[in-house]
Amino acid sequence: MKKDKKMIVAFMTPAIISLFIMFVYPVIRTIIMSFFNVESLTESTSSWSFAGLENYVKIWNAPSFRASMYNILRIWLVGGIIVLSLSLLFAVILTSGIRGKSFFRAAIYLPNVVSAVALATMWIQYVFNKRHGLLNSFFATLGFDSLAKTDWLSSDLKFWAMLAAFIFGAVGYYMLIFLSGIENIPQDYYEAATIDGASKLRQFTHITLPLLKGVMKTNLTFWSIHIITFFVWSKMFSPVDSESSTIAPVVYMMNIVFGSKGVTTRDAGAGAAVGVTLALFVLVIFFVFNKLIKEEDVEY
Amino acid sequence: MAKNKIKKMREPINWKKELKLLPGYIIITLWVVFTAVVLIWILAASLSTSKEIYSGAVLEFKSGFHFENYSNAWNAQNVSVFFANSLLYATVSCIGIILISAPAAYVLSRFTFLGNKTIKSSLIVAMSIPSIMVILPVFSQATAWHITGTRWLLIILYICLNVPFTTTFLLNFFGTLSRTYEEAAAIDGCSPMKTFWVIMLPLAQPGLITVGIFNFLAVWNEYFVAMVFASSDKLKSVGYGLFSLVAAMRSTGDLGGLFAAVVIVFLPTFILYIFMSEKIIAGVTGGGIKG
Repeated sequence: MKKDKKMIVAFMTPAIISLFIMFVYPVIRTIIMSFFNVESLTESTSSWSFAGLENYVKIWNAPSFRASMYNILRIWLVGGIIVLSLSLLFAVILTSGIRGKSFFRAAIYLPNVVSAVALATMWIQYVFNKRHGLLNSFFATLGFDSLAKTDWLSSDLKFWAMLAAFIFGAVGYYMLIFLSGIENIPQDYYEAATIDGASKLRQFTHITLPLLKGVMKTNLTFWSIHIITFFVWSKMFSPVDSESSTIAPVVYMMNIVFGSKGVTTRDAGAGAAVGVTLALFVLVIFFVFNKLIKEEDVEY
Repeated sequence: MAKNKIKKMREPINWKKELKLLPGYIIITLWVVFTAVVLIWILAASLSTSKEIYSGAVLEFKSGFHFENYSNAWNAQNVSVFFANSLLYATVSCIGIILISAPAAYVLSRFTFLGNKTIKSSLIVAMSIPSIMVILPVFSQATAWHITGTRWLLIILYICLNVPFTTTFLLNFFGTLSRTYEEAAAIDGCSPMKTFWVIMLPLAQPGLITVGIFNFLAVWNEYFVAMVFASSDKLKSVGYGLFSLVAAMRSTGDLGGLFAAVVIVFLPTFILYIFMSEKIIAGVTGGGIKG
């Protein structure tokens, strides 16, 4: 096909402009801003003063930022183990030859198309509610009195309540990715293994798991990025003042940049430093998973 | 593939085989039943009075169905405004995204030119940049240009935010279309640009629909950008609007109205999902894995 230079320019320009205004320029400016003392976002660059690493030192010394990092570390680790095991389990069940596969698949993925705010409202106002909630009435019916009286949204349990609700919404997405990975494995492998007398469990550990390495890497990377930008759920579980049990770094950042209940000082420079720190974590995660999980080129 | 499916459907129930699969059935059925219980309860609660909800008598409907919860939420609680805003943001930005992404994806997949590879990889990098990295400068720039507090700003932001994903998705899709169409069009004297709009874009319809649904859902449910840029009630979309409703509910105690609002927010995506779930699921596994 003949190359049409005019066409290339005309077709590429809008996309490139959008990349520049939405990504290139803002990212550069955020990085620069994180090294300056900037009080308000709206002040002009002439009033910025160079601060070196001061903003970074400041946020790492702030107890609420450290609490938020500790929270997402727990969500990443505990939630990650639960979400990835559950989604792998569901994917294996769905490919085991059960009936109604597409119905179950669609039903498990469903929470992902619901607004997170609506989903969190359902959990807070119904499942975890102390007066008419699902959990408490469920345990009351079973006769577990102490469990039936538990306040799931009390400050000691709030974090775990938030994590449980979040996990419920997340599983479907990772299940779909595992599912397509398993479906890509040729059926012959399993047939050959069955003929050789390998049990289902052995087939799983010796065929499915090793061949899912690349998919596992994708899921781990997506999960990590997902957790670093954790926001809505934290906001929903402590909407008024950000409690240290549920605060997330992005919530902390919004609080110091735009102010919050009881916080009157604004610090856009430190906010930018939070953004850069989180972006650095994303970079490190990409790098580590790429180095750690070597994907052999599997040709089927 | 199709043959296989027919064979499966006709397969008689093999009880021995099904029994072996029983633990699997139990696990996923429990999960799905839990989802269903929550959804049904929410629907029932949206038709009950707040008093009934507080006393735990939701599924009894002793005082009948209270559809006034819906009219109440729709009119008095501003849900109609949030709904109209979300619909506007989602529709207009979906069209805008396609108008920017489709031509770029086509050119990137069909021609080799200087910077082609660089642009492709920048798109993938842009997809993984967390929005917190870009939101602050965008806010200061928008303030400097006095465009905050307008619907156009939100639409432009939604378009720009979704261009990288959409272009990457369509890039792979155009790659699967045969070049013979363009060759035939060229022989008939059709210019390359016209060929794209008249022949190639309609051919890409299945891909456009999948990515369109995705963007529609993403913008409809969006919360973060709306929170920063749609501060006044008349600009709020459903996600952020519902958030402020929940906050207001704490003082009014109107649980019935709150659940009605939840259902209103949830319903459009749910209906879209019922009809399009195959497309949506194909989109997750097709677009997400690459890169």
